Amino acid sequence: MIDDNGNLSIDFLAGFTIFLLAFIWVVSIIPGLLIGLQAYTIDYDAVAYRTGVILTEDPGWPVSPAWESYGDPRKSDIKRFGLAISKETPHILSQDKIVRFFNISTTDPSVGFIYPDDYQQRAIFGDYPYRFNISLRDLGQNEIRSVGDVIPDGYGYIRRVVKIKGASNATIIGSNYTKSDTVNTHVFSILINNTKLLEEVRDPAYQIDPSREQLTINITNMSSMCTNITLTNLKIYKLDSGVYSNVPLPASNNPFVDGNSTRLQSSWPATPAAVNDNVTLKFYPQFIDSMKAQNSQIFIAMRFDVNPACRFLNNTQALPDYDNLVGKDTFENLNTTPFDYNYSNNVTQPKLRDAVLAVAVW
Amino acid sequence: MVNEEGGQLYTIEGIAAGLIMIMTAYLVVNATSVYTAGDTHISDMHLEQLGSDALRVMDIPESIDKKSPLREIIEATPVDNATFRSMFLNITNNRTLSGPDHLQFTAGYTCRNNLDNSIATYPLSYSRNLTGGEHAVRATKWVIVNKNVCGNNYFPVQDRAVLVEVLMWRD
Repeated sequence: MIDDNGNLSIDFLAGFTIFLLAFIWVVSIIPGLLIGLQAYTIDYDAVAYRTGVILTEDPGWPVSPAWESYGDPRKSDIKRFGLAISKETPHILSQDKIVRFFNISTTDPSVGFIYPDDYQQRAIFGDYPYRFNISLRDLGQNEIRSVGDVIPDGYGYIRRVVKIKGASNATIIGSNYTKSDTVNTHVFSILINNTKLLEEVRDPAYQIDPSREQLTINITNMSSMCTNITLTNLKIYKLDSGVYSNVPLPASNNPFVDGNSTRLQSSWPATPAAVNDNVTLKFYPQFIDSMKAQNSQIFIAMRFDVNPACRFLNNTQALPDYDNLVGKDTFENLNTTPFDYNYSNNVTQPKLRDAVLAVAVW
Repeated sequence: MVNEEGGQLYTIEGIAAGLIMIMTAYLVVNATSVYTAGDTHISDMHLEQLGSDALRVMDIPESIDKKSPLREIIEATPVDNATFRSMFLNITNNRTLSGPDHLQFTAGYTCRNNLDNSIATYPLSYSRNLTGGEHAVRATKWVIVNKNVCGNNYFPVQDRAVLVEVLMWRD
């Protein structure tokens, strides 16, 4: 060979071939190596974890009045969902918050929360339009609640074990409270001493706090005492610094009569309600909270009229002048004291129940 | 025979250069796995969180006048391992929208003997023996019990701290 110019040497050819093979091999394994990254999957898991923490360890915002007390017209004021009863008690969820959180509507924005928009802004967060499913299994009551879509393949997930704190309630058996004379008009009163309730038990997990949880009072067994009973009125009084003041009862807190699932209508008390056997009072925490009565005593005075005259519920005055009730004479009568809603007087505090909360995000 | 060798690569250098490039490219690309948590880590985290939650919930009294279930289990003589087993399996294996999970566990507790300052570990309960092949994660919880645990029989009964440790895995 006289002239080698323009030829490839065998050495270069071998080296370049090895390099090309290596390059092709490395490029071919890159997708496999990046599988571990799975940016979306890891993000889904992180978002699911974050949502789980928010729901189980945070009471949400606003705290006072609590977000769950905001009705649908004011739901835009809710900044963050959170189901814990307080920030000091993670893992212990509030029954009222749970009921409100899972109050969903698929169509009407004025009723309940709308999936996914209302939840994305207050529980999921982030700019990416995540889809999700949040579910809660109440092991104590064998009940499942959920909000969200059907879960597809490839989602982020977290499961948390929690406790649920139910609301307290009292059952007053009417025949045990007949201290009255044989008359046509009777007044039965109940005392909710917020100061004592909050001081006697400090731990929020076991505390009765009327401004944070619904109170339920059942007055039963009335038919065994009298006939033709009507619930004529119900008045609320608040005692602050020795001064009694009357607080109007909103129609949203009207009583239930005879196990009816709906409250008495706004026509009551102008039109007295006939009662056969029982009356149920359910006070929403937002009503108590709006009274600014966290450190006050609240008195509930119910007027019943019966015909014919008989001995009936009366623990306040022997012959009450209901229209002109005065606090001291009415509620501080040593002979006929109000029913005290406290930790030991016929009030039932449900045990904390086990539950499982799951969040799936995709 | 090539007389002019300027500008040429010899075979051995070519191979060496190729191998170095392969190694470099492999190391660079593979280095990303250091930062990827990966699926294994995520599922481990799920299990750890679940175990930690379960122990925490078991150490919450149901009502203000009661002790926590976990405390009652350890304070019982002998230790109430059946209750621990059923309670732990119930709250960890229950799912919300599908059938039960298949988690297994083995649990023990550790405490200190005040007399000789030694540490002792005692079995608490288990659902299946740990053979070594399982991919188990650990969850722990400090619990205060009013009992002379770990052979502290020379001292009056008083509140003592024990560390409950659970190894759990999915079948």
